[in-house]
Amino acid sequence: MMGAEITLGHYLALSGLLFLVGLAGVLLRRSLLIVMMSLELLLNAANLALVAAARFQGIPDPQVAVFFVITVAAAEVAVGLAILVAIFRLKKTTSAEDFATLKF
Amino acid sequence: MIAYAPYLILLLPLFSAVLIRLVLHPFPRIAVPVSVAACLGSFLGSLVLLNGGTPSGGMAAPAVTWIELGGLKAGFALMADPLARLMATLVTGVALLVHIYSLGYMAKDPCRSRFFAELSLFVFSMLGIVFADNLVSMFIFWELVGLSSYLLIGFWHSRPAAGAAANKAFLVNRIGDFGFLLGILGAWSIFGTISFADLSGRVATEAPFWAVTATGLGLLCGCLGKSAQLPLHVWLPDSMEGPTPVSSLLHAATMVVAGVYMLIRVLPILELSALTMNTIAWIGALMTLLPALVACQQNDIKRILAYSTLSEIAYMVMAIGLGIPGPGMYHLVTHAFFKCLLFLAAGSVIHGCHGEQDIWKMGGLRQRMPFTFLVTWVGTLALAAIPPVSGFWSKDAIFAATHDRPGLAACSMLAGFFTSFFMLRMILVAFEGKPRSENARHAHEGPPVMVVPMLILAVFAVFGGMLPVAEFLGMKPEQSHQAWTLWLSLILAAAGFLPAYFLYRDAPKDPLQVPLLQGKFYVDEFYQRVLVATQDGLGRLADAFEGWVVRGLLVRGSGVVARSAGQGLRLIQCGQVQFYAAVFILGTLGLVAWLLWKGAA
Amino acid sequence: MTAVAGDLTSRNPRKITRMEQFFFWSLAAGLLLAATAAVTLRNPVSNAVALVAALVFQAALFVTLEATFLAAVQVIVYAGAVMVLFLFVIMLLDVKAEARRPIPWSKVLAVLAGGTAVVVGVPRLVAAFPAAREPLHWSAKAAPFGARELGTLLFSSYAPLFLTTGVLLLVATIGVVVLCRRDPES
Repeated sequence: MMGAEITLGHYLALSGLLFLVGLAGVLLRRSLLIVMMSLELLLNAANLALVAAARFQGIPDPQVAVFFVITVAAAEVAVGLAILVAIFRLKKTTSAEDFATLKF
Repeated sequence: MIAYAPYLILLLPLFSAVLIRLVLHPFPRIAVPVSVAACLGSFLGSLVLLNGGTPSGGMAAPAVTWIELGGLKAGFALMADPLARLMATLVTGVALLVHIYSLGYMAKDPCRSRFFAELSLFVFSMLGIVFADNLVSMFIFWELVGLSSYLLIGFWHSRPAAGAAANKAFLVNRIGDFGFLLGILGAWSIFGTISFADLSGRVATEAPFWAVTATGLGLLCGCLGKSAQLPLHVWLPDSMEGPTPVSSLLHAATMVVAGVYMLIRVLPILELSALTMNTIAWIGALMTLLPALVACQQNDIKRILAYSTLSEIAYMVMAIGLGIPGPGMYHLVTHAFFKCLLFLAAGSVIHGCHGEQDIWKMGGLRQRMPFTFLVTWVGTLALAAIPPVSGFWSKDAIFAATHDRPGLAACSMLAGFFTSFFMLRMILVAFEGKPRSENARHAHEGPPVMVVPMLILAVFAVFGGMLPVAEFLGMKPEQSHQAWTLWLSLILAAAGFLPAYFLYRDAPKDPLQVPLLQGKFYVDEFYQRVLVATQDGLGRLADAFEGWVVRGLLVRGSGVVARSAGQGLRLIQCGQVQFYAAVFILGTLGLVAWLLWKGAA
Repeated sequence: MTAVAGDLTSRNPRKITRMEQFFFWSLAAGLLLAATAAVTLRNPVSNAVALVAALVFQAALFVTLEATFLAAVQVIVYAGAVMVLFLFVIMLLDVKAEARRPIPWSKVLAVLAGGTAVVVGVPRLVAAFPAAREPLHWSAKAAPFGARELGTLLFSSYAPLFLTTGVLLLVATIGVVVLCRRDPES
């Protein structure tokens, strides 16, 4: 393996890369379903950074925050998917590029 | 009890005006006597008041505090000092005679209820000016007088000329009133009071010369408007569009001398500034001469008299400018008699000639209207200051005061020469020779109600010179009698008759044609040009401002800015949620990068 | 698990360190791989399965950070409930694999900027906290965070927030029902 010890920096870098992957998904994918999955990746990146920080600091409070993030993410996914279903019923598509009604 | 007499005198005509306007309007048979009775009541009250009370100290009727704003205290009180008592008697007396005369003159007018109501309103307003004890309440009655003058000039409102003349009188008076208002404010800010009694006590002031002068000139401006002096005199000749009794009462005997009355009231202020006094004196002197010249070339009998009124009031104004209010007031009283008489005689002529006012279409009236002819001569002698008729005494007192002011003396005495000239011209053209029109051929004397007032006024015009006016007012100046002023003025006045006699003895038409005088020095035309040009210019300027700045720059400009900003901004609105997310993330990244960079630095 | 970890530490610190490195690198590689797959694959079902894998890898990373309870929650809630929801919707909508289309420049720019920011920013961020360079040894700092400790915190100092989250979930549930309800008339 790489000789260096594992530090907080490693976890933060991992979190950043994960965020980048998720961001690419959010921005580049057209299917709103995939976009939502990518959003979950973003949340997880943040969670990872939080848990690493909690470990580093030796305090449990960030873990509580992560707990809440997971809860809210669950609610968000539920509502988001419901909206997606409703939109699909209306427009028969889930491609983000087909929704430009806000233009003008 | 007698303290309330001013209130009675003041309110009776108002009561009459309101009653007629509200109730008696459709019944002229009742309305007209009510108005006359109210005027008679006021006159009797004035007579009682004239004799009651002490001659020196004023008699303040009970006061009500009306406006109290910081230092400004304006009460509503009536001041019945000798000046007010004399003036009230004069106003109500002349008004009573004119009321009676109007019974005959207006007998056939269907609107005579309205006429008498407005006449009553005028008497009320005029008495308000007379009894006012401070500048503010005087100003209010001043405006009321302006209103009633407007109503009466425009009495025959179906005639366009009458409406125009009424508007002109009103507007020109507004200019004067504006100056008057500024003068009131000035008086208040300098002396801290607007009450006449206080003002006369506070003549010694620390105020700077220019402030006192400005205040005096502002008050003078009010007088110039109401008393029709240069340069605000243009309304008075036009006001002859009103019925002749109105011309007689308002525009000869009483209302137009309100300015003079006001100047006497505020004389303590005016005397603080020699410049103001000189201005007044010179305006007076010029205004004696210029209208007298214009009158020489007028053909309308009322306009001739109107210009002579301008000239006569100027004598009073000049007297005030010379610091001798006593003779000024004296001339005011005598002038009221003889000028009212002349106007009533002119009204009688017009009435007898079925509305004809052009003296060149009269002629030969001496045989048909001998009485009117006689009283016109009486009035003419008084106006021309021929002894022993009243006008001689009062004018002589004024002339005497000009003995060390050659400029003023020259103007005013020359005016006397031309006065004699145009009065004799009027008499010769209108009464002598042969009738020059069908109307003049059928002329006839008026009814007794018109004759009797003229008779009374003629008596006063002859003997009014014996009234001890200045002594009554306590304004008798030290005698500075100079024989040369007496003789010179007398000679000039008499000399004025000669050329008139030779020129107009048998003239079928005017042998003299002076366009400058016929055009009244073109003052009206000048005002017309200047005002129209100014207003046009202002209008164009305002229009350009509105078009370019308001509509162009502000309205359309702001619209264009908003719209182009919107057009620009909507280019970045693609409606794509992911684009917005990209922008959002770029922004966040920029913010974080900035924070990091700043933290590192 | 904590007890086992404690025993391990006391036995052989050097061996433990090597274990830590092995787990971190392999799990990180797996996480990034799975995440990339979840983002790039074209069949929605494959995406979902890849995402489940990523979430499990993350749960494992939580374990290496001694957040055992959160690891359990991650697997149960995320990989279990949420992903099942995703799969349900995929099935419900019968989403087809999408066609390739050109990518707008703005998005590419954003991703590039984000990549640069991560590559440049994270080392700087770590540099801003020198202590972050210290190695994180297994149970080096005493306080272990098990379900008990988190539960105590949730029901004591974070109780109001916890209750609010409950309300949020309720509202979300109702919202979902309202959103997905078919209009009775149509």
